[in-house]
Amino acid sequence: MTDGGRRDARAETPTFEEGRYVYCLVSLEGTDGTSLETEGVEGEPVRVVDAGDVGAVVHDCEEIYDSADLERIRRWLVRHQRVVDDAGDAFGTPLPFQFDTVFRGDDAAVHAWLERERETLEAALSSLAGHWEYRVEVVRTDPVDESTLVRADADLTDLRGRIEDAPEGAAFLLEKRYERRLDEVRARRRGDRADRLRDRLADHAREVHELERTRPQSVGELSAAADDGAETVCRLTLLAHEAAEAAIGGVLDEVAEEDGLEVRFTGPWPPYTFAPSFGEGATGRDGGPEPTTGTDAR
Amino acid sequence: MKPTKNEDALVDVIDVLLRDGVVLRADVIVSVAEIPLVGVKLTAVVAGMETMTDYGLFEEWDTTRRARAVERRQYGHRDRESLEREPSAEADE
Repeated sequence: MTDGGRRDARAETPTFEEGRYVYCLVSLEGTDGTSLETEGVEGEPVRVVDAGDVGAVVHDCEEIYDSADLERIRRWLVRHQRVVDDAGDAFGTPLPFQFDTVFRGDDAAVHAWLERERETLEAALSSLAGHWEYRVEVVRTDPVDESTLVRADADLTDLRGRIEDAPEGAAFLLEKRYERRLDEVRARRRGDRADRLRDRLADHAREVHELERTRPQSVGELSAAADDGAETVCRLTLLAHEAAEAAIGGVLDEVAEEDGLEVRFTGPWPPYTFAPSFGEGATGRDGGPEPTTGTDAR
Repeated sequence: MKPTKNEDALVDVIDVLLRDGVVLRADVIVSVAEIPLVGVKLTAVVAGMETMTDYGLFEEWDTTRRARAVERRQYGHRDRESLEREPSAEADE
């Protein structure tokens, strides 16, 4: 790509005179007042624009948050997340918006949209009430002993035997087959382990989704510790009621007790992965789970 | 065990903020509302600004394309040649 192309892209960034950056929607049902003590992206003061029982957590903005400076983007993202967290603490499970969603217009524009979509939004909020997203990552820090795998698999046992008896050239080819088979066996074991865990967690969660085993590289990784070569068995994301948190922790404790396995359990997060899409023809996004609430405005 | 939510854990959801969350489809503006929405695509910065240019900048940038861009970014190591990546936008390797 050329610098010229980048400049062009910048030049055509949408502009607007008045806008509202939206962090999330919250249910105001049963809450008194709409005050929220928190600081927004770039230190902006955060407010709640309400329409009946639905509130939008916003700050006034005049431009899009766009930067090629990854560290800056990361700070924005962290701030965005903190505001959504604070909103969740104050008003219960929020409907989190994707980073950098900006309404063109003033409070009245946001209010009008809330009014128009009110039924859908209230249904989505009440459906998610008390539910949060939890993330689970199981890592094998201690690889399964190769000899254990060979003993447990007839093909590997057979290949191992043949390699020992074969002349050099043939042994080389057999060795290749052996390595391939070994990879298959490891992958199958990983899959079986992940399936078992999924099934068990499904008893306590409203939804369980398996994520890509490899974590996406992104701005988030800037400060992440380097990978120590451990093998990720699975990464799952769950939508679960907060009351089920302890039971889920219990299931994970059992996994963590297994030799060579480590479990990372994070949350409760706002239900980002499980947030619905709004708008005509809105469907699940590529690569992500379908919206769960069935509240898409169609 | 109890779930954690410290700085380390936050790394876990940073990507999610770019990829997930309530999405307002661009068509909602056209078909439903006078409320024009500026749906911003910071993901594109991460994916590389050229991606945005390829897609005719913002007009055509709907969620599907956004998701694809994220996917490309996510699996950039596999089909690196298909995407000229912005060097500073990648933290891998």
